[in-house]
Amino acid sequence: MAVTEAPAPSVLVDDESTPVRSRAWRRRLEIGVPAGLIVLIFGACFVLPLVAPIPKPIGGDILESGLPAFSPGHILGTDPNGNDILARILYGGRSSLVVALSVNVLGLVVGGGLGALSAHLGGIVDSIIMRVLDVFIAFPSLVLTLAVAQSLGPSQRNTILALAFFSIPAFARISRAATLRLREQPFMVAARLSGTSTWRILVRHLAPNIGPQLMTFAMLGMGIVMVIEGALSFLGLGIPAPAPSWGNMIAMGQLSLSATPMLVVWPSLALFLTVIGFNQLGEALRGRWSGR
Amino acid sequence: MDEQDVSKLASPSATRGDDASDAVTGSGPVPRVLPAVLSSPALRLAGRRLLTAVPIILGVSILTFLVIELIPGSAAQQLLGPEATPEQIQQLEAEMGLDRPPVERYLDWLSAAVQGDLGRSLVSRQPVTDVLGDRLAVSGEIVGLAFLVSLGFAIPLALVAARWPNRLVDRVSMVVSTTGLSLANYVFALLLVLLFAVQLAWFPAIGFVPLSESVSANLHSVTLPAFAIAFPLFCFYTRFLRGDLVEQMQGEDYIMTARAKGLGPWQVLLRHAFRNSAFGLITIVGLNLSALIGATVIIEQIFSLPGIGQLLLQAINTRDFIVVQACVIVFAIITVLASLLTDVLYAVLDPRIRYGSN
Amino acid sequence: MSAVERRPAWTEERSDEGRPGTGRAAQRRPAESDTLLEVDNLHVRFERGGVRVHAVNGLTYRLRAGRTLAIVGESGSGKTVSSRALMGLLPPYATVTGSARIDGVELVGISEEEMRRHRGTDIAMVFQDPTRSLNPTMRIGTQITEAIRAHTRGDPAAAKRRALELLSLVRIADPHRRFHEYPHQLSGGMRQRVMIAIALASDPKVLIADEATTALDVTTQAQIMDLLAELRSRLGTAIILISHDLGLAASYADDVIVMYAGRAVEYAPTRILFAQVRMPYTRALLDAIPRLERMSHALLPVTPGQPPDLMALPAGCAFEPRCARAKPECRTSRPPLVEHAVGHWWACWNPCKDGEPL
Repeated sequence: MAVTEAPAPSVLVDDESTPVRSRAWRRRLEIGVPAGLIVLIFGACFVLPLVAPIPKPIGGDILESGLPAFSPGHILGTDPNGNDILARILYGGRSSLVVALSVNVLGLVVGGGLGALSAHLGGIVDSIIMRVLDVFIAFPSLVLTLAVAQSLGPSQRNTILALAFFSIPAFARISRAATLRLREQPFMVAARLSGTSTWRILVRHLAPNIGPQLMTFAMLGMGIVMVIEGALSFLGLGIPAPAPSWGNMIAMGQLSLSATPMLVVWPSLALFLTVIGFNQLGEALRGRWSGR
Repeated sequence: MDEQDVSKLASPSATRGDDASDAVTGSGPVPRVLPAVLSSPALRLAGRRLLTAVPIILGVSILTFLVIELIPGSAAQQLLGPEATPEQIQQLEAEMGLDRPPVERYLDWLSAAVQGDLGRSLVSRQPVTDVLGDRLAVSGEIVGLAFLVSLGFAIPLALVAARWPNRLVDRVSMVVSTTGLSLANYVFALLLVLLFAVQLAWFPAIGFVPLSESVSANLHSVTLPAFAIAFPLFCFYTRFLRGDLVEQMQGEDYIMTARAKGLGPWQVLLRHAFRNSAFGLITIVGLNLSALIGATVIIEQIFSLPGIGQLLLQAINTRDFIVVQACVIVFAIITVLASLLTDVLYAVLDPRIRYGSN
Repeated sequence: MSAVERRPAWTEERSDEGRPGTGRAAQRRPAESDTLLEVDNLHVRFERGGVRVHAVNGLTYRLRAGRTLAIVGESGSGKTVSSRALMGLLPPYATVTGSARIDGVELVGISEEEMRRHRGTDIAMVFQDPTRSLNPTMRIGTQITEAIRAHTRGDPAAAKRRALELLSLVRIADPHRRFHEYPHQLSGGMRQRVMIAIALASDPKVLIADEATTALDVTTQAQIMDLLAELRSRLGTAIILISHDLGLAASYADDVIVMYAGRAVEYAPTRILFAQVRMPYTRALLDAIPRLERMSHALLPVTPGQPPDLMALPAGCAFEPRCARAKPECRTSRPPLVEHAVGHWWACWNPCKDGEPL
């Protein structure tokens, strides 16, 4: 992906004086806390509106616009159109998360599969696919997504398509590299030599071994996609107003930044917490899986 | 290229050098008659990469063209507005040459582009190259400053963190840089504006003052956007550098040798560990360049800066595909050149590649 | 540049021309058979994550000037750790107690800064893997001059001269060319010679060769060992040879210490040790060396069992569980290292007798 991927420091900030048992606990916390945060966020966005009296995110009453936080019925206040901010954050989170999930699932399945297949088949097929991937990766990704989003018109589905355009090559690249690394392992050579079908090799042998690496990448990818979707919506090319998205909420907030800064801060905070949750989870999983 | 690949490239372990020199030297011994420059593996690498760069850039231009073709509605339609009748649109299109088949249009564009003529904007009728230069200068200045600032903070911080690992500075800087990477750059930019432009009023929230008018005003207008772009870079570099330095200091044998000579801790850190980390840093800086292009688009939008990112955005909105094509090509060239330069620089600096093995 | 012929250093006063020692008072080289290094009851403990490992447990020995001492033992016996302790090159989670005095100056428990002053000037070390022990991105010459200038204030030209001297001293052909080359351009044997040159740069009194030839092929091994022997007679440096190879000790050492589970268990001049071996462990080691006169296809006598767990050392003799000569008191009380015969120390309640099988 074009956006910088966070490297894990190879020597983690490890406390040498912690006893062995508490280190196992630390590992559990490392995975558990971000995982819990993610679950909380998903719960808030998808489940909470169903069970709690959260107002609708659009179609608010103009008379109720600009209410401050802790107003009755509006914990976070309302925006200039009279919509409840908390509702917009929750529903906005829903769209953003759906986009991020779809893009990464697409990337993982299509891109991951494509990369693995290409590496496995090798030869001319691999070269051609590599060249095509190179072009996509050399293409400034944001530009591509902008162009695609613009050409197809802003909507949630089109945003997913546009982002998939660079997610798939990114996954394909990782998957291809991992497959190539794995290819020469004795068990892979044995599988090929014994005449195992390509399909079986991919599913039974390859997938379980490159799976963890791709999953980690997908976790980090969730964060990346959410940020880029936010950027697209910010520029008006993502999820279209009046439907909420954290990106377009930030854009709207920017217009009255000096007067009502919280309109920017709340969605920014939501985005930040979600991204950090995914990033930390990805890092913890990477640590756990590569430590094996 | 994922992070493992990067750190593999960056680590000075002997095995890595073998792979690289194999990739570069390849053929047999070079006759001593040729001047050293021509037989330099670095130059041959550069030449080879340039050759592969060309089809990539071509591919990019074709892809852009295709994408633009997919966009419903043409520039003519945009110019005339929603009230226009189909006949008016068709007439304007014919005038603009937009009714010819796509392949023909592409080849026309290509032949002109190779000669340096990137066409005229469909909207403003100005030659694109005129505008591109100025816009590139603005974006270039901001990005350049961002690099300087980010490295200027990251390198000393990482050095101090690696000097005293797991102590206060190290832990704080790692926490900051890890969380910083989760912060979207546009969010950070707006927070900067909120604090420094709105609350403190130290810097302007929008607007750009060209260098020609006033150096100080220019720097003043460019500070916040440069910092907005610099921050994620800073986080990335700090994390990478600290990790690489500590890995060397704790794992590599030549560090032990250096200590056994009686060198002080800073000498060991700087003269041995940092020297080798610099390789990895170069690679990463090169890789970052393409990510920065996306950053310029949104940052220029926030701060209303007349850079190439904003140009691209406007061009997309107005369906000015000539300008879009030109911008994208420029971006692609920059990306490819950056990656090429990085590889060549690596080949030049890494003595294992430069001198091969005896 | 005239051929450099270094006279034994202890026969002359040092002059002040950019030779090591400039700025310090001229050193008195200890006369032969002066006790140079006194190690008394050295303990090294590693503590990490609640786990405590006793790597060295009460090591005591003497090293005399101009002599070669071999410290022999299997992996985990503590031979490398004890030497690293002398130079202060252990990780921060290691604790060193006891005493080690070089020329009367205490090395245990001193500050890092004081330790640095001793590194290279009093003690130096040559490590096992010359490929990893040299910085791959730094020229050979620089790595040597760095060692020189760590302790000497002088101009770069003088340092370079000295470095070239050193390269000749370790018998590297064409030192001028090698000076500018990088480690990967040299063979393994040459790299180890460079490591020796680096170690000798500041005229140390003691040179520790830590498995210095283990990573080399047999022919090169012999060359390096011969070089070390030659250097010892020319320069008067005392050498500590750390190895698991008894044969090496037999050929090149004046005195031998056998270590087991972090302690010295037998200590004698080489000839006496091999002729009148007392400690059953040493005997077992000797018996395990394949010999031509044994019947072919005969099984090598293998000592059953494993070395003890350094986290839980027994109260009695550490070798007792595997010893064919074990008596009841061996399990309950640890035999002390005592000079039972002149110059021959051993720690055993039931030592081997001459001519008796194990």
